Amino acid sequence: MKEQSKNKSTRREFLKQGLVAGAGIAAGTGLISSLLDARTSESVEKVKVMTTDGQIREVDKAQLKLPRVSREESHYGIPGRKFVMVIDLAKCKNARKCVEACQKGHHLPKGQEFMKIYLLQDSDKTSPYWFPKPCFHCDNPLCVSVCPVGATYKRSDGIVLVDNERCIGCKFCMTGCPYSTRVFAWKHYPEFDEDKEPYSPEAGSPGKEGTVSKCDFCPDLIRVGKVPYCVSACPMGVIYFGDIDEDTVTNGTDTFQFSQLIKDRAGYRYLENLGTRPCVYYLPPVDRQYDVSLGFGDLNEEIKNRYNETPYVKKHKP
Amino acid sequence: MIHMKKHISPYRISVVLLFSLAFVPDSFSEKTTDSLTVPETRLSLNYVCNANDSVTLSATLSVKRDMTIKYLENASLFFYTSDGLNKRLAGQAKTDSEGNSKITISLSNLTGDQEDIIHYTVEFRATGIYPAATAEFNAKPASLKQSFIMEDSLRVLRISATEKSTTGKEIPVPQVTVNIYIPRLFSLLKIGEITLDDLGVGTMEFPKELIGDSLGNLTVISKIEEHDRFGTVQVMNSINWGIPKHYIYAEGPSRELWTPIAPLWMIITLVILLVGVWAHYIYAIYELVMIKRHNKKREAISPTV
Amino acid sequence: MESDKNILLKEFAPQLNRTGPWGYAWISFLLAVICLGIVAFFFQVLRGHEVTGMRDNVVWGIYIVNFIFFMGISYAGALISGTLHLFRSSWRKPIIRMAEFITIISLLIGPCFILLCIGRLDKLPYLAIFGRIQSPITWDVIAISTDIFGCLIFLYLAVLRDLATLRDDDIIKLSKWRKKLYKILALGYTGTPEQQLRLNRATDVMAAMIIAIAIIVYSVLAWIFSVTLQPGWHSTIFGPYFVIAAVYSGSAVLILSMWLFRKIYHLENYITKKHFVSVGVIMLVLAAFYGYFTFSDYLTKWYGSEKNDELLIRLLFNEYYWYFIISNYIGVLLPLIVVGIPKLRTITNITITSVVVIIALWLNRYLIVVPTLESPYLPIQDSRPEWLNYGATWIEWSLTAAGVAVFSLLFTLASKLIPIVPISGFHHDLEDKKEGISA
Repeated sequence: MKEQSKNKSTRREFLKQGLVAGAGIAAGTGLISSLLDARTSESVEKVKVMTTDGQIREVDKAQLKLPRVSREESHYGIPGRKFVMVIDLAKCKNARKCVEACQKGHHLPKGQEFMKIYLLQDSDKTSPYWFPKPCFHCDNPLCVSVCPVGATYKRSDGIVLVDNERCIGCKFCMTGCPYSTRVFAWKHYPEFDEDKEPYSPEAGSPGKEGTVSKCDFCPDLIRVGKVPYCVSACPMGVIYFGDIDEDTVTNGTDTFQFSQLIKDRAGYRYLENLGTRPCVYYLPPVDRQYDVSLGFGDLNEEIKNRYNETPYVKKHKP
Repeated sequence: MIHMKKHISPYRISVVLLFSLAFVPDSFSEKTTDSLTVPETRLSLNYVCNANDSVTLSATLSVKRDMTIKYLENASLFFYTSDGLNKRLAGQAKTDSEGNSKITISLSNLTGDQEDIIHYTVEFRATGIYPAATAEFNAKPASLKQSFIMEDSLRVLRISATEKSTTGKEIPVPQVTVNIYIPRLFSLLKIGEITLDDLGVGTMEFPKELIGDSLGNLTVISKIEEHDRFGTVQVMNSINWGIPKHYIYAEGPSRELWTPIAPLWMIITLVILLVGVWAHYIYAIYELVMIKRHNKKREAISPTV
Repeated sequence: MESDKNILLKEFAPQLNRTGPWGYAWISFLLAVICLGIVAFFFQVLRGHEVTGMRDNVVWGIYIVNFIFFMGISYAGALISGTLHLFRSSWRKPIIRMAEFITIISLLIGPCFILLCIGRLDKLPYLAIFGRIQSPITWDVIAISTDIFGCLIFLYLAVLRDLATLRDDDIIKLSKWRKKLYKILALGYTGTPEQQLRLNRATDVMAAMIIAIAIIVYSVLAWIFSVTLQPGWHSTIFGPYFVIAAVYSGSAVLILSMWLFRKIYHLENYITKKHFVSVGVIMLVLAAFYGYFTFSDYLTKWYGSEKNDELLIRLLFNEYYWYFIISNYIGVLLPLIVVGIPKLRTITNITITSVVVIIALWLNRYLIVVPTLESPYLPIQDSRPEWLNYGATWIEWSLTAAGVAVFSLLFTLASKLIPIVPISGFHHDLEDKKEGISA
C-alpha cells in the first residue's frame, strides 16, 4: 500500500514536471499542446515517465506506463478533439493482432474481447468479408441513455467510457447497444490482477467483477500522442484513427484526409438506419488484398470454431 | 555402423566437446537468471537538418535478449561530430522510457571533411551487463526555404533548397523531391510533393480545404527525406491558410437522453406524474389520520366507548 | 348484522387461531425451499454470476422472466381489486382480499429478482444517489416504490374494518400480542358514519389510483425492453401488451389461489362456482385481448419481415416451437374454450385452465426475453455453447423456486393474520345503502 501511494505521488509529480517542461518548449509541443488547442506547430511529442533513481531500466514495449487520470477527470474529454475511426474492410484478413494487443493492453481474459472480428455475409449471393468491430462510440449512444447511475458517459471528445467503480452491473446498456459491443465480468478473472496500477476509466483496467466494460478508444494512449492498441498492432494497416475535426486519420504508417478517404472509398457507417450515429466508419471490401479464406490461416482451433455457423464455412465444409 | 565409426576422429570429438561446453553455461543461465545471458544492445541514430542552421540528432537504444526487444531507459548516450579527423563531443543525453534521447546542435561552428560532409556518431558506453553500442550518420548540411505567395487569389507554396559550397556560398540543390506535410494529432498528413527544378526551386498550389487550428493557422513542414547526401532536411512555418477548426462540442449539447441532465419535458412529465400520484396518497393518509382523530374526539366526549 | 359477523368470525377462527400438523409441514417445506434459494444466492455472490446461465449475449435470463411474472400478477391483483371495488360488484367480497394479498406479496418478491440480476449488489444505493431520470430503470425504481406504497395504503384501507372487528372480538381467543397489534392497527375505527364516509372516500381514491399506477408501472416495465433497438423488443405495442398479459396472468393466479384456499380453509360456502365463473369470464376477456396483442405483434414482425425480425420469428418457430405453441396458442385458446362453452365451466376445469395460463404466461415472458437476446443484429460468433444459447442453471431454478416459496409462505402467513375473506360487518352498511339508492 505504502509503495503504491509513493508511486502515485511520483507519477503526479512527474506529470506536473512534464507539464511545466512542456510549457517551456517554445514550439508548444508535448502533452500540453495536444490537450489544449490545436495550435501545435510540430507533431505531438511523447511524454514519458522516467525513473528517478538513475539506474538503467528495461522497458517492455507493450508495458509502457501511461498516465492515468482520476475518475472525475475522465468525464471531461480531451479539449478540442473529436475522435473517429475508419476501418478498411478491403485489407482485413483476420490476423487478430488488434484483438491480441487490445486484450493485453486492457488486461482482458480470453474470450472477453473489446474488439471482435466477425465473418459477415450480407446475403446469400454476396461475398463474405471480415468485419472488425470495436465500440462505435455513437453520437446518440443508447447505452449511455439507459444507464441508471451515469456509470457510462459520453465525453466532449466523443469517447464513450465506462466507470467500473460506478457501474452496478444491471446490464441494461448491454441490451441497449444494438452492436453487442459490451462485455460483462461474470467473475473475477485472474487477468485483472496483472494490472497493479490504480483504476482509471480511461485505462479501462483493472477490470471489476460484476460490471460492464467495453472498447474505450484508449484515451490513455491518446493522451501521450499514441494511437489505440488495435491501430498500431494491425499488420495490414486496416484501422485508421484520428481527430474528425482535424479531418485526418492515420493507421500509424499512412495518414489520410478523412473526408477524402470517405469520399474516394465510399465509406459508410454500420447499421446507419438505427440512428445511433456511430463514430466508426467502414470502407467497403472492394478490390480486396486478401481472399477471405486467408483469414482462417493461422487461427487456433477454438477461434476457427467460432465461425462454424457462418454460411461461408458451412458452404465450404468438406 | 562399423564403417562410420572409423571416421570419427579425435579432432571431431574435441569440437563437439567445445560446443557443448559453450552451451552448458548458456542453457544453465537461462534457467536461473536473466542477468547471466549476454544481452545485445542496439542503437539507432536519426538525423534531421533544420532550417535555422542546426541539426537534431535522436537516438534509440534497445536491448535484445531471448528474441525479445526492450527499450533501455535512463541510459546516457554521447553524441559526437567529426570532420573525418577530429572527433568532438557535441552533447550527452539520457534515454527516456522508450529508449529515445535527442539533442540539437548548432551547425555554425562545425566543419566537414573535404566534401563538406559531417560525421555524426552516437555512443552507448558499456555499463553493467549491457555491452557498448554505436551508430553513425554522415550528411552534408543543406537548407530548405518555404514561401507562401498569393498569385491572383491562388495560394502558392514555393520551396527552394540550397547547400553551402566549400567557399561558404549558398548554391541551389537541383532535382530533389520535397514532401509537404501538415502535422496532425498523431502523425504528419502529406499534402503534396514537389520536385525541384535545376535552380533548386519548385511550387505547388496550396490545398484549399485544410483544417487549421481554431484561428485557421496551419503549420507546414517541407522535407527532403533520406537523401543520399543530405539525409533529412526540413523546414517548418506557420501560415493562416487553413479553415478555422470547428469545435463540434464547444458548448456541447446539454439536455439529451444521454447527457447527465435530462431533457426538460422528461423532468416536467415525471414531476406531474409523481405529484399527481403522491397527492392522492397524502389525501388517503389524511383521511386515515382524521379517522383516528375522530375516534379520539368521541372518546373524549363519551369515555365509555 | 351483528350475528352475521359472529358466524363469520367463528367460521374463520380455526385458520386465524391455530395451525395444524399439515400447516406446519407446509410451512417447513416452504422454508426448506427458501433455504435452498439462500444457498444458491450465496453461491452466486461468492463465485460471481458465472454460476448462472447468463452470458454476454443473453445477459438477462429467468431472473428477469420471474421479475416480469411476479410484477405482472401483482398489477393484476391491483387492477382486479381496484376495478371490482370501483364497480362495486356484489360478488367481489369473498375474493377481493386474495387479490389484494397477491398484489402486495408479489410486489415485494418481484423486485428481488431484478436484484439477483444485478452484478454489484453492494452498489445498489447508487440507484438513489446517482439516479439518472432518463433511464427506464430509474423510472422503474420510482414507479415500483410508488406502487408498493400505494398498494400498502390500499390494502390497509381494505382491511381496516376487519382489524377493528378482530380487535373488538371476544368469540375467538386470540393471543395478547395479536390483540394489541389489532388495536394499534385499527386506528380506533368503530364504524361511525363520519369514519365510514372518510374510509370509503379514501378507498375510492386509492382504488382509482392503484389502477392508474398499475398501468403506468407495467408500461414502464415494458419500456425497459421496448426503448432498446433489439429486434423483438423495439415495439410500440409493448406497453399495453405487457399490461394485458399481466392482468391475464394475475387473473389465473387469483383463480388458483381461490381454489387452494377454498379447499384448505373449507370456504365452499363463500367462494362458489359463481366466483370461479365470474373471474373465469374476466380471464376469458383478457385471453382474447392477450391473443389479439400477441397476434398483432408477431403478425407485423412476420409480414414486414425485416431481416432481424425474420430471424427471430424463425427462431421462435423452430428452436422454441413448443414454448411458442404453449404460450401463444394453448395459452390463448384454452380459456376461450373452457370458459366460453357453458358446459365446460366447472370449478376444476377453470382451475386447470388457470394453471395452464400461468405456465403459458411465464413461457411468454421467457420467449420475449431469451430468443431476442439470442438473435442480435450482429450474429453471435462464438465457440462456447453456453454463450450461444441460454440455459438456466440450478442456481437460477433454486432461486426461482425460492421466490414461489416465499410467495406461498407470505400468503399463508397473511391469511393467518387477516381473514382471507372479509369478515367485517361494517363493510356492508354504507355501500349497500348506496347500491340500494342507485338501484
